[in-house]
Amino acid sequence: MFTALREVQIPLLAVMLLGGCAAKAWRTLRSRSAAAGMDATGLVPLHLRHPVLVMLFMAEALLGLGLIGTAGRLGDAAPHLGATIVRTATALFFLVAVGALNELRQRRPDAGCGCFGELSDTPIGLRTIARSGVLCASAVATIGLPPLRMPSSSTEAEMWLAVLAFELALIAFLSPELGDVLVRLGYSEPCELRRLPVGRTMSALRASSPWRRYASQVSTATPADVWREGCWRFVVYPGIVSGRPVDIVFAVYLQARRPAIRVAVLDAATDEILGLAGAHESAIL
Amino acid sequence: MQHLADIPRWCEDVMDSASPARFARRSLLRAAVLGRADATRFPAITTVDDDAGTAQRSLLYTVTGRILDVSPHIVVLLTDRGEQRFALSASAVAWRGGPVSPAALRPGDHAILRRSLPGGPVVDRIWAEVGRATGTIIERDGPASLFVDEGPAKGRRIVMIPPAASGRIQVRFPRLEPGYLIDVIGLKRDGFLQALIPATAQPPYRAGHQPAAPMVSGHIPDPVSGTAVWHEPGEEPDNLLGLAYPALDPETSCEHGTFGPPSFSGDLYAVDPHATGPGCVRLPYLSVGSLLRLRNDCTERTRLLPVTSCGATARLFCDRCVTCGTSRRGRLADLTMAAFVELGGALEVGCFNATMMIGG
Repeated sequence: MFTALREVQIPLLAVMLLGGCAAKAWRTLRSRSAAAGMDATGLVPLHLRHPVLVMLFMAEALLGLGLIGTAGRLGDAAPHLGATIVRTATALFFLVAVGALNELRQRRPDAGCGCFGELSDTPIGLRTIARSGVLCASAVATIGLPPLRMPSSSTEAEMWLAVLAFELALIAFLSPELGDVLVRLGYSEPCELRRLPVGRTMSALRASSPWRRYASQVSTATPADVWREGCWRFVVYPGIVSGRPVDIVFAVYLQARRPAIRVAVLDAATDEILGLAGAHESAIL
Repeated sequence: MQHLADIPRWCEDVMDSASPARFARRSLLRAAVLGRADATRFPAITTVDDDAGTAQRSLLYTVTGRILDVSPHIVVLLTDRGEQRFALSASAVAWRGGPVSPAALRPGDHAILRRSLPGGPVVDRIWAEVGRATGTIIERDGPASLFVDEGPAKGRRIVMIPPAASGRIQVRFPRLEPGYLIDVIGLKRDGFLQALIPATAQPPYRAGHQPAAPMVSGHIPDPVSGTAVWHEPGEEPDNLLGLAYPALDPETSCEHGTFGPPSFSGDLYAVDPHATGPGCVRLPYLSVGSLLRLRNDCTERTRLLPVTSCGATARLFCDRCVTCGTSRRGRLADLTMAAFVELGGALEVGCFNATMMIGG
């Protein structure tokens, strides 16, 4: 069991390091500015922040790739020396991270660690520091481990999976980023902020019963005006009712399926309301 | 999608449109179809001081025009109603690049006057030749000359910083380099703006890299708080009472930038504000003609204002106003000068803390 526990650490550490590296790179590329990911470098003078950020990025990439590269037979080729160096360096990296995060927390309590790019904007707490501590201990546990191999039995594989699941759960518990990820996964934009093409509004309108009811009174194929306010899009057609020129106003709720549609017919000259259709309950803009 | 071809591609700019009357009717039509009590029987977009019960729609405090004559006690202004005379209160203050005596103003100056009382004959504040440049620096020529891109709607202009104002501006705008944002107030000169006052503190990020707005669950809170700023009229009438809104409906509005291939090196730094996300405050999509109730939290004065143009450049600024306390982050509205003064704002200050209620 103890060996399985140690063996699981190598892929886990590699994934954490490469994931952190990729998230930082993504944030930098997206904002086209290295300054965007500089929260974690807030301890050093301004002119050193950029080089320190590059070093941090390179260290994570090299250690992550090094852990993978030295995990199997390749590491075995130079009697564990390469593997030992990489694993020791990983342990030192996380040890330094514990100290740096603790210092940053005291000096800049508002700053996030930036460990996983824009997901790590939450101010540094004890959980973030504890996570680095756990990863440091994981790296220490891998020093001196023989090359990784596939599990020899199903019992061993189950042991691997159980240990991996436990450790993932522990890291998830210690990661404030997880809450952000879950929020983003389950997020649905309010209708006021959702972009919906005019073409879809027109399609929904022309497939609706209010349109069929008023279509015969519409005098042009092209609407006189189309605009949006919050969750509603308004479409105005000129029309003729009993010989009077009118404006037929359709309000289409901006949702993908079966939107609510309301209609008002106004005298084009006097703006007198000649007819209404659709429920007039309180509408959310 | 065949219906989309039926929709004319309008420019949602009240000044560019061939039929601005359709914007004015929108609030009426909306109220009619949604059954709202706030239906209004008079145009939302007005540029004149008419008497048709427009207490909410006309200029009560503000007069704009060109100075014909000025003395220590009287100012004569050429407005759209012709020549008008206003008495100066004993405490009247004028601004022309800085606080000056009203008598120091010059005939021919473009001026904005603020009345002491609504509709009254006495004025207590005058701003003359005041201008503002808000946008992205795209070129710097020496220490004092900047070329600023104010967005697709307003174009580009030259900003000159005189040595006397350089220190004051650089304290709040330390990075006067291409790619960074600038927002300065000064005097309008022939072909350029002479920058004299920083209108805000420079955001630390490069233009277009503003922080993401927090995610909103449910519906957008109403009212919403933030900052209100002002812009020069450009092609709008001087006395237009309205605002440029940062979140016009991208499907039918000005969200079709005029950005082509770069033609000079400065184009590389120009930022299309429509392509940089919603900014750091989430606002519902609206259209030209939509009505908003805006309150100046500092003077507690509230007005119902129509959206008159696109204010997407405001999205680039994730700043706060500290005119009275510290506002929430983000610009809600870019008011016309007349609307800004009407709500009690001081043009040389550049912003006020604002609360906005959507839908009037």
